[in-house]
Amino acid sequence: MSTHPNRNFILAYILLVALPVVGMIAVLKSGRKLGAPISVDGLWHLQVDATSLATLPCGKTLAENPETALAISQSGRNFTLTLANGPKVTASGVIESTTVKASISPSPEWSTQAGCGPDQGLNLVATVDAKANPRTLSGQISASHCSSCSAIEFHAVRQNPPVSRGLH
Amino acid sequence: MTLDLFKLVLQLTLILALCRVVGSLFRRIGQPRVVGEMFAGILLGPSLLGWILPNASAYLFPPGSLGFLNALAQIGVIVFMFLVGLGINPKELKSQGHAAVLTSHVSITMPFVLATFLAILLYPKLSDDSVAFTSFALFMGSAMSVTAFPVLARILIERNLLQSRLGTVAIASAAVDDVTGWCILAYIVVLTRSAHSGTSIWVTIGGIVVFSLIMIYGVQPLMGGFEASYEKWGGLSENRLAFMILMVFTAALCTERLGLHLLFGAFLMGAIMPKEPKFVQYVLDRFETVTVTLLLPLFFAFTGLRTNIGLVKGPEMWIYCGLIVLVATVGKLGGSTLASWLTGMPIREAAGLGTLMNTRGLMELVILDIGLDIKVISPALFSMMVVMALATTFMATPLLAWFCPDQLLRVGLPKLSSSESPLPASVVGSSGGSAA
Repeated sequence: MSTHPNRNFILAYILLVALPVVGMIAVLKSGRKLGAPISVDGLWHLQVDATSLATLPCGKTLAENPETALAISQSGRNFTLTLANGPKVTASGVIESTTVKASISPSPEWSTQAGCGPDQGLNLVATVDAKANPRTLSGQISASHCSSCSAIEFHAVRQNPPVSRGLH
Repeated sequence: MTLDLFKLVLQLTLILALCRVVGSLFRRIGQPRVVGEMFAGILLGPSLLGWILPNASAYLFPPGSLGFLNALAQIGVIVFMFLVGLGINPKELKSQGHAAVLTSHVSITMPFVLATFLAILLYPKLSDDSVAFTSFALFMGSAMSVTAFPVLARILIERNLLQSRLGTVAIASAAVDDVTGWCILAYIVVLTRSAHSGTSIWVTIGGIVVFSLIMIYGVQPLMGGFEASYEKWGGLSENRLAFMILMVFTAALCTERLGLHLLFGAFLMGAIMPKEPKFVQYVLDRFETVTVTLLLPLFFAFTGLRTNIGLVKGPEMWIYCGLIVLVATVGKLGGSTLASWLTGMPIREAAGLGTLMNTRGLMELVILDIGLDIKVISPALFSMMVVMALATTFMATPLLAWFCPDQLLRVGLPKLSSSESPLPASVVGSSGGSAA
């Protein structure tokens, strides 16, 4: 028969350790049903008609770099975008279901080279094909603050796509 | 990627200078140097330097140069993990009373469980569908349940509390926390990497079990040779020290090859080394200077370069960040306090123990770094967790002084200088050391 202190210890252990662990297991099981934003993190190889892109304000420098890729760093629904092998830009965007939206603001140097007007940049709207392997992006690039400019179609394919991490 | 030696040395100079200056400033306000060094790393990254001086940041830390900086930093962390393993004494784990057993187990389960609950809120907001919820939640749990053993021990020594009841329970609990935390993290890394590589998880786990058994039953008995040599000659020859570091790197390579991580092998190698205090002290002295003063600041800088507080934007994101700090603190500080109070410790002393267990320091950054590498956490969540690591480590010293004034705890305790400490001084950092 256990002594009084031992009984208290066992009781405290059950209440503070064993029961929370059981609760945690339940949370882990129920959490498997949760959904998270679609993954767009990684490097995307950009396929776009360079001639059309060059006609857009701010699009010229981008069009001159055929090896340009979109590097996306994702945090939930938000992401930041940089251009690998391309001009220096800072861009941020959001993911809504399978739609990706981003605004690209050129650096001052690029802005001068590419003939961007004040506060002009590029907007990117695309849809992710989650079933494709590797994932693809299809959408349009347009110039901001330019009502006479037409949007340019583009396609991007994710390189080295990350596979599922862990057991769902 | 070509090596620009000028740029690398320039980076090292800047990092070391800033870490020393900020570390010294933090010591002046009563904080462990490591908190200042962690903070200095963040100052060098996109959160400050890259934000206010983007051109200077781009010149000093161009993306192509960071690989070399990271390599040096990772070598530092490998050696540091060896030292952490060396400082953990299995006798402390075995000789726990009921109070320490309950406190240590609750101090792991409480933050772990609360973190998995928080994961339900954060997963849809800060993760993506390439990360499994289980991996995400388990990672959050292990990251929140870690305790920075060296910082904790450093604070105990500075306040002459190592031989108090508070000190002995805290040391034993932190040792259990560290070992358990790393085992859980190992499981998450295996889970994630096996899914990535396509290798069966059971093959990976089987390999790790076999490796661990070889280390414990095959290699550990041979390690006694180092201690025997130390006792015979009063020191170790350069060849023996070189052989020791060779063993550390070999163990690290084995765990990496098995699909785990370099750091686990280094930690295990340290854990199976002989534990005679003078021998441990001697080995730590040999490796500490370069590791703590040169290589670990590089790790802080590299972590700072990956931390972008700018990603935590908008009230919603700051609320998540606040929740992370709150859950981590309530789970660890609250859980440890409650458990030790229930086992008979006076409430103020119990709160002091909870405060000590809540310090996370460099150990947290090491875990977060692994999480970001295997992409279980996103850059924004990484930044929030770094804020949590800094906040919980920063609050330890003032909270402990508030909960446990000197006169409350030192009654009847012998005066203990750091040279008389039962813990090796290098584990906890010398007065000028980092106490990482």
